[in-house]
Amino acid sequence: MTAPTTVPGYDASVPSLDDVGAVTDDVWLALVGEDEVLLPRPVPPGSPFDATGAWSAAVTVTGEWQGVVTVELDEQVARLLSARMLALPEDGPVNDGDVADAVGELVNMVGGNVKSLMPGPSVLSLPSVAAGRAAFASDVVEVCRLDVAWRGGPVRVCVHVPRP
Amino acid sequence: MKILIADDSRVMRQIVIRTLRQAGHGGHDIVEAENGREALEMVQTERPDLVLSDWNMPEMNGIDCLAALRAAGSDVAFGFVTSEGSEEMRQRAASAGAAFLIAKPFTPEAFDDALRSVI
Repeated sequence: MTAPTTVPGYDASVPSLDDVGAVTDDVWLALVGEDEVLLPRPVPPGSPFDATGAWSAAVTVTGEWQGVVTVELDEQVARLLSARMLALPEDGPVNDGDVADAVGELVNMVGGNVKSLMPGPSVLSLPSVAAGRAAFASDVVEVCRLDVAWRGGPVRVCVHVPRP
Repeated sequence: MKILIADDSRVMRQIVIRTLRQAGHGGHDIVEAENGREALEMVQTERPDLVLSDWNMPEMNGIDCLAALRAAGSDVAFGFVTSEGSEEMRQRAASAGAAFLIAKPFTPEAFDDALRSVI
């Protein structure tokens, strides 16, 4: 892991993209196993999350460090991930409640590990989960974005901090 | 041995149960609670030998549950399974009387090491 970096113009330390990538890789590996890794996915800056259908989730960190960690997943990725986490057949149905539970746990794990990289003490919120893309109020700004793919479907992890 | 698993995520409770099995601890009786308040009540009714608890839960979080248990005189073995594994959280857990803190993401080996410390 590398030390948190500071984005010019922002009075807040932010985690590096390498750290967010390492945390996400570790969480994914623990949830789906070693045989299927997340692959890099080049996406131009500013591009909206381009999944046809999506699930999104967020956790907020408040205290010495303030930020919002979000995860957005392609619909099919979210359902396959949920099936893996519940040890269900991948070609069988997974109800929305289980997908919400699984995606919430994913952002909780990524967010909790990002929190651990940043100055404390701080408090992690419970996850909020939605079927659809994540949208953000204008009082936060994205300072870190990881675009990866699993089984060809897009996955995005972002860190937002309060706008100065 | 009876183990109470407290986590508001059904998915995570399933993963904890599966990981216990992978760690060679599949023979224990398992009971489940959805939050700290339910866990607090179930320690009285179910008399578990060990509580494996998430930290961040609705109704009552894990650290408040542990504090309430100790205040009530319970000395049940208690360990956290949480996404927050910083040194600060580990110190808070230990100060409150937790036997261990397993950080998510975890491995079966981490569970085995932790459980061996209380079995």
